[in-house]
Amino acid sequence: MLLAVLIANSEGNILVERFNGVPAEERLHWRSFLVKLGVDNLRGVKNEELLVANHKSVYIVYTVLGDVSIFVVGKDEYDELALSEAIFVITSALKDVCGKPPTERLFLDKYGKICLCLDEIVWKGLLENTDKDRIKRLIRLKPPTDF
Amino acid sequence: MAESSGTTLMDLITSDGSSSKPTPAASTTAPPPIDSTASVGPPVVAERRSKKGTLLQIQSDTISAAKAAFNPVRANIMPQRQKKKPVSYAQLARSIHELAASSDQKSSQRQLVHHVFPKLAVYNSVDPSLAPSLLMLDQQCEDRTVLRYVYYYLARILSDSGSQGLSPGGGIPTPNWDALADIDAVGGVTRADVVPRVVERLTSEALNEEVEFHPRRLQALKALTYAPSSNSEILSKLYEIVFSILEKVGEPQKRKKGIFGLKGGDKESVIRSNLQYAAISALRRLPLDPGNPAFLHRAVQGVLFSDPVAVRHSLEILSELASKDPYAVAMALGKHVQPGGALQDVLHLHDVLARVALAKLCHTVARARVLDERPDIKSQFNSVLYQLLLDPSERVCFEAILCVLGKFDNSERTEERAAGWYRLSREILKLPDTPSMRDSTSDEKDAAPSKATKDKSAKTRRPQPLIKLVMRRLESSFRSFSRPVLHAASRVVQEMGKSRAAAFALGLQDIDEGAEVNTYSDNNESYDPDINPTAPSEGRKAPSVSNGIGSKDTIASLLASLMEVVRTTVACECVYVRAMVIKALIWMQSPYESFDELESIIASELSDPSWPATLLNDILLTLHARFKATPDMAVTLLEIARIFATKVPGKIDADVLQLLWKTCLVGAGPDGKHTALEAVTIVLDLPPPQPGSVSGITSIDRVSASDPKSALALQRLVQAAVWFLGENANYAASEYAWESATPPGTALMMLDADKMVAAASSRNPTLAGALTRLQRCAFSGSWEIRIVAAQALTTMAIRSGEPYRLQIYEFLHTLAQGGVQSQFSDMHSSNGEDQGASGTGLGSLISPMLKVLDEMYSAQDELIKEMRNHDNAKKEWTDDELKKLYETHERLLDLVSLFCYVPRAKYLPLGPTSAKLIDIYRTRHNISASTGLNDPAVATGISDLIYETSKTRVPDLIYETVKTKSALPDALDDDLVNFWAANLADDGAPAMNRVNEFLAGAGTDAPDVEEENIISRPSMSYDDMWAKTLLETTETGEYDARSSGSSSPDSVGSVETSISSHFGGMNYPSLFSSKASTHGSSQPKEKPGASRYGAYESPGSPVREEPPPYSSPDHRRYESFENPLAGSGSGSGSQSFSDGRPSSGNPQFGTALYDFTAGGDDELSITAGEDLEIEDEVDGWYYVKKKRPGRDGKLAGLVPVLYVTPS
Repeated sequence: MLLAVLIANSEGNILVERFNGVPAEERLHWRSFLVKLGVDNLRGVKNEELLVANHKSVYIVYTVLGDVSIFVVGKDEYDELALSEAIFVITSALKDVCGKPPTERLFLDKYGKICLCLDEIVWKGLLENTDKDRIKRLIRLKPPTDF
Repeated sequence: MAESSGTTLMDLITSDGSSSKPTPAASTTAPPPIDSTASVGPPVVAERRSKKGTLLQIQSDTISAAKAAFNPVRANIMPQRQKKKPVSYAQLARSIHELAASSDQKSSQRQLVHHVFPKLAVYNSVDPSLAPSLLMLDQQCEDRTVLRYVYYYLARILSDSGSQGLSPGGGIPTPNWDALADIDAVGGVTRADVVPRVVERLTSEALNEEVEFHPRRLQALKALTYAPSSNSEILSKLYEIVFSILEKVGEPQKRKKGIFGLKGGDKESVIRSNLQYAAISALRRLPLDPGNPAFLHRAVQGVLFSDPVAVRHSLEILSELASKDPYAVAMALGKHVQPGGALQDVLHLHDVLARVALAKLCHTVARARVLDERPDIKSQFNSVLYQLLLDPSERVCFEAILCVLGKFDNSERTEERAAGWYRLSREILKLPDTPSMRDSTSDEKDAAPSKATKDKSAKTRRPQPLIKLVMRRLESSFRSFSRPVLHAASRVVQEMGKSRAAAFALGLQDIDEGAEVNTYSDNNESYDPDINPTAPSEGRKAPSVSNGIGSKDTIASLLASLMEVVRTTVACECVYVRAMVIKALIWMQSPYESFDELESIIASELSDPSWPATLLNDILLTLHARFKATPDMAVTLLEIARIFATKVPGKIDADVLQLLWKTCLVGAGPDGKHTALEAVTIVLDLPPPQPGSVSGITSIDRVSASDPKSALALQRLVQAAVWFLGENANYAASEYAWESATPPGTALMMLDADKMVAAASSRNPTLAGALTRLQRCAFSGSWEIRIVAAQALTTMAIRSGEPYRLQIYEFLHTLAQGGVQSQFSDMHSSNGEDQGASGTGLGSLISPMLKVLDEMYSAQDELIKEMRNHDNAKKEWTDDELKKLYETHERLLDLVSLFCYVPRAKYLPLGPTSAKLIDIYRTRHNISASTGLNDPAVATGISDLIYETSKTRVPDLIYETVKTKSALPDALDDDLVNFWAANLADDGAPAMNRVNEFLAGAGTDAPDVEEENIISRPSMSYDDMWAKTLLETTETGEYDARSSGSSSPDSVGSVETSISSHFGGMNYPSLFSSKASTHGSSQPKEKPGASRYGAYESPGSPVREEPPPYSSPDHRRYESFENPLAGSGSGSGSQSFSDGRPSSGNPQFGTALYDFTAGGDDELSITAGEDLEIEDEVDGWYYVKKKRPGRDGKLAGLVPVLYVTPS
């Protein structure tokens, strides 16, 4: 299960978060944990360089893209490497939507589209679409494979 | 204020790029200026305060919004938003209602797409009152982007399941939504009203077969799956839709094969594939229906679909179904698994997760017992699985390795894991002969491997031992720069270690690791070095060098070369990767090899302050798991655990560590017990921590505890070790008074102390060593440690036979006098504490202990005299004489039981010579030896309770440990072990739970962020910080000394608190004379601690007897000591406890049984026979009043419960 996708700005403000199967009372802990993880480790990290962490049997992969940091949390089949796949899909969709590694402003300007992309990428806690062209089509209400 | 909750993000979003340039700038330089109450930390209180106000406002907003919906002629509200004021939810809602009405206009669509919908996304849920407008848009609007948003929000309305945490969540809490629950009466639109309409609408769209409509059909179906699965009505509707779609498009069309994900193809087949995709994806989100043949049939069909995501989903469904009914799945898959079949095609499908699902599916089918009679099918699936070992993606390859290793979930049995190691080390990968499909369809990502295969196809076809493939693949992964890859590779090595340990534990035949693996090939060069083109396999050289037999590889040499690479990974910057590497090393450590290297790696790692406590504890738990797998490693693991104790005492969970000590001591077996005990108690020999010293940073023989917190933790740990030593030395030394061959009162007792010690240590070095350590602790430790040491010595005195008892007796006597301290002064490394007026300051504590021993000795003397008299006079013992003797015996037993657990049936306080006489009396009077009903601890009922609880939850871990151990010949006495097991459950309940949870691989709960200051980082998240405050109130109670020693001004205060809570929590007896202080504020805090205390105290002592019907009086004993320590912190002197003592209301009366001399100001001297009024009882002490003042003029004070019998 892909437990959470969370995008924060460089200040640690959370911009987008999607939790799946995480009890409401635990979300706050996760938020704090992830943000702290980012603050502690993401300074000076290159765009899209993947960092990893784990907590018990839950894996976390996170990275930086422009002004935002992206965290994905998963368990079971969503281990570090599957999460790397997921985060790769998310970053490429973000770059696609924003045209470049986003600044915070740009990210917020494209907020709606980004939410739609995430909706196509993660569907009820499972990774769905991984191909960025396909995602692009789907958020414009086009079929996944066009004729 | 009312509107301000959670507006930061809204603020940012609302501000237009141009007009609001300053806003993001401000947010990056100085966070707060945006809106101080917004997402900034402290909002919590503000927000809560404002909640009620908000409610009212929301209420009116909602109503007006609803009105607006019916009366859309109002002015467009958008201009209002231009004023850079953050948009409220109500405003957004209103806009949607209005714009929906004019959705045919381009401008409205633009506003919806660019302003309204994106901002609405900020909220974490969409309230039902929007549904009518959304449905209206859905019906009337033509704009695709608007529609896409509409589906998005409809799905969110459906998914809102409140507290179940299933909604996508995130964002600012939607005000109306919460409020609506309260103002239902006002006529708001409820979810119950709209959901049926939404479902109806989406259902009809999902069934719409119009060609042009099909993209919408897909989205409608997707939105429907968001409905909570608890709604069976929607669920059955969904099944119906999905199956009806699959009915039409599910049948495979042969000629369409091979269009994998490619654009083009005719329109009909593309639409068909899209629908297949949508249906299977929806099916994947529906609950599994294992018994349903249609379900299975459709899933199997899905493997043939052309859409890669659809194939992935159907494989995932199949692999889940296979875990329930492998036979049905295997049969249904039939020829797909055969060479050239659909499953073979998946091998080359460009979808990583599809191949992962394939690996799982193959593994599940291949290991299924029900298919034992169809080895052909099993081998086909196995062959697919083995081919996945060559997969270019690490994710897939690692999954395949884990499957081969028998790791599936966390519930595999040891046999499966062992078989996994056997497979990996023995089996050969033979590629099927059919031509590879690779060349035709793989796209870029697959290009590299497919090229490699083409070039080397001749070579890869050669059969290869799995182990070589895997080793080489892992080695190359360890050269990766990607941290996730390193982490995953270490994890795979760890799993490999687990399987290997399982194989050794079961003693699998044929696991000779010296055997050569090149069975199928002439020389090394024929192996394909390009399994993974990203890294050259230099690793190959290592084995041939390290292994002296030329070019032949053995498993051992392959492993050695792998481990070499693994060890170098410790240099990774990421602490999580390093932790995983250490775990892998622990698992790969063989019990028969030197662990120096591992030890030094761990030691140097632990010196790094950046390790978070949770990770360290994880490693500690790994030691537990390792022990469970290989009990032989007890001593090694203890040595490693010792590094934790000395290096990071402040970070590790002391309970878990002690549990490890205990289990390892039992597991060490008869031969290892001495070493095991040494490994634990070596902690006591360490020099005290030198504040600020950096030298010897990697030396494990030096304590690193430079800050007060870890110094404190270290002390706690030393206390625990001292206690452990006292409690278990007799077990480790196999020396028990009731089994001692040497009767007391013989010549030994005539020796002087030195000779006695010499005699003792030659007889039993383990016990003698423990004694020496404890004696030193009783002198040179800190106050608390000295006390525990004295108690530990008493325990040993009571349990050991002569001459140890006498030796301890003499020592305690000296200690009480405080006289000969100078004799020990060379051992006395000062800790800066005043040793007290009496030299050791332990006098008052030791006197009851000495008294017990005194009584035992004098009773023994008495007995010997009596026996001589009888012998001389050649008289038989009369019944009265015997009765008197028996009563003395029982009385002493009761007394002794107060100090530590002894087996009542066997223990002879009057010495072995009394056994016969007592037996005679017992037989005459039909007294069963083990009733123990007179025991004070039983009488108070405490231990009954403990025993009950412990009985019901004997943990698996220990149970299994015990099982394995008791299976060994010459292992422990079964009863003893069961007794232990029962007690461990009780002992380490919290620790035990942690261990068991770890072993079960559980734990998806949220982490606690350490060292916190979450609050001090203001702009952490939205305004739901209030939840944090809720949590905090509970957290602050526990030790918050964690929170950064230096960063906050009140850190000193917090350390103070932690000191008291430490002692409170740990319940280490520090017998400051201020007993009464427990009655103060610290009392409530104490309570939870009291149960933990059991961890140290209780009946953990391995004693050779069946479990008595009570757990142990010594729990009780500690209770009696524990009270005084709490709150007294570091030695506040005596306090009178006239203040705040709760009076019990109805006083009880009693009589003094023995003389008692007050040992402190709070205590009261009493004389036997005196009448007393018992006011109160606290932890083993009565607060009593005399009728008239005693010689010292005192009228009231504390006396031990035992000394008074209530009348």
